[in-house]
Amino acid sequence: MQVSDEELYRQMKNGNQDAFAALYERREPGLYRFALHMSGSPSIAEEVSHEVFVQLMGPAARFDETRGSLESFLYGIARNLVRGVRRQGPVAEPVDSAFEPDILGEIIGNETTAALHRALRELPDRYRDVIVLCDLEERSYEDVAKIIGRPVGTVRSRLHRARALLAAKLKRLTAPSEVFTA
Amino acid sequence: MTCKEAVVEVVECARRRDNRADRGIHTEPGRDLRAHLAICGACSERWEAERQLTAHLGTIRQQTAALHLASPASRREALVRDFARMQPSLPGRPARMRYGGWALAAAAGLVFAIALGRQAGLSGRESAIRTGQAVRMEPAVLYESNSLSSDASALSSDDFVAIPYTPPLAPGEMVRIVRGDLYPEALAGMGVEIDLLAWSKAANVPVEMIVGEDGIPRAVRITESNSY
Repeated sequence: MQVSDEELYRQMKNGNQDAFAALYERREPGLYRFALHMSGSPSIAEEVSHEVFVQLMGPAARFDETRGSLESFLYGIARNLVRGVRRQGPVAEPVDSAFEPDILGEIIGNETTAALHRALRELPDRYRDVIVLCDLEERSYEDVAKIIGRPVGTVRSRLHRARALLAAKLKRLTAPSEVFTA
Repeated sequence: MTCKEAVVEVVECARRRDNRADRGIHTEPGRDLRAHLAICGACSERWEAERQLTAHLGTIRQQTAALHLASPASRREALVRDFARMQPSLPGRPARMRYGGWALAAAAGLVFAIALGRQAGLSGRESAIRTGQAVRMEPAVLYESNSLSSDASALSSDDFVAIPYTPPLAPGEMVRIVRGDLYPEALAGMGVEIDLLAWSKAANVPVEMIVGEDGIPRAVRITESNSY
């Protein structure tokens, strides 16, 4: 039976190096993907997924089991870190776009889908958060509510609004081909 | 069923289709929704758009699922080493190294704090200090300690509280003291001991921050007033 994240965290807090390594191996890839979807930058994603664990092992990390899962807690840290990086703003982004390959663009073969992913990154933070967490990371409304610190109803309404924005974008993306085929 | 109710159902139904597709369970719109879609062009169009959006998001999810299945071993090992270093009773590390590193970092912090205090006293709203000249911060101390907490301690003084998890200052890097206001919760998040209840009715807390050339604050302290 797999040891829970929370149990690994308890062992880690008692100085168990193996527990920390196990937690890192288990959760870091997902956090990387989350940060990649949020930022579009592999280097930011790598830094963020690493920094989450730096914070977790530091004295300032205050995980409270009664308030949610450790996984949600880690996603919450990652979300805040990505937002922090984005707030630092226009200095970092051109560098990313100039020197980093569009890794997602290369992986996502379909042009429309890749364009949709770029559109996702242009959404306001509050909408992008919920699309990435609910629809790409497949987390429940309850989990997402804990991660972003908002009620479940807010998560749901933001998701619906975000999807409406993306659906409109998708319609524009597919419109030219429709004109051709008509 | 109204259009407002229908749109909510359309979104949820489209999302359920995607989530259950892997298990071979397809959720079709219920009878009420189907009836509404048959007579409402706008909702019918939205249903089609949501289905397409769900398909594209599913593609993104599937195609990125195999990305970065594991972090590079070197990064993982470096992090685990840092974790081990932070443990107080880790075997195999000479105690004098740990305490020596802390003592040097504390000494550097004291020199830094004194220099900052003098500079802050001489300047007005904002001052600039070249750390390599005015402060004599020993980079060797910071690198030797090789941990975030010791970097932070080098910036701590009686007044200033080092903000954890910020990158260390480079030798010769210019720092500024910037005055401003912060929410009490933000200060607490930076590790400043603050009575949140006492400050809850005040809008913001007047602070001074040591800010590096990269614009990232490294240390913060509460000031007496916000008259600047």
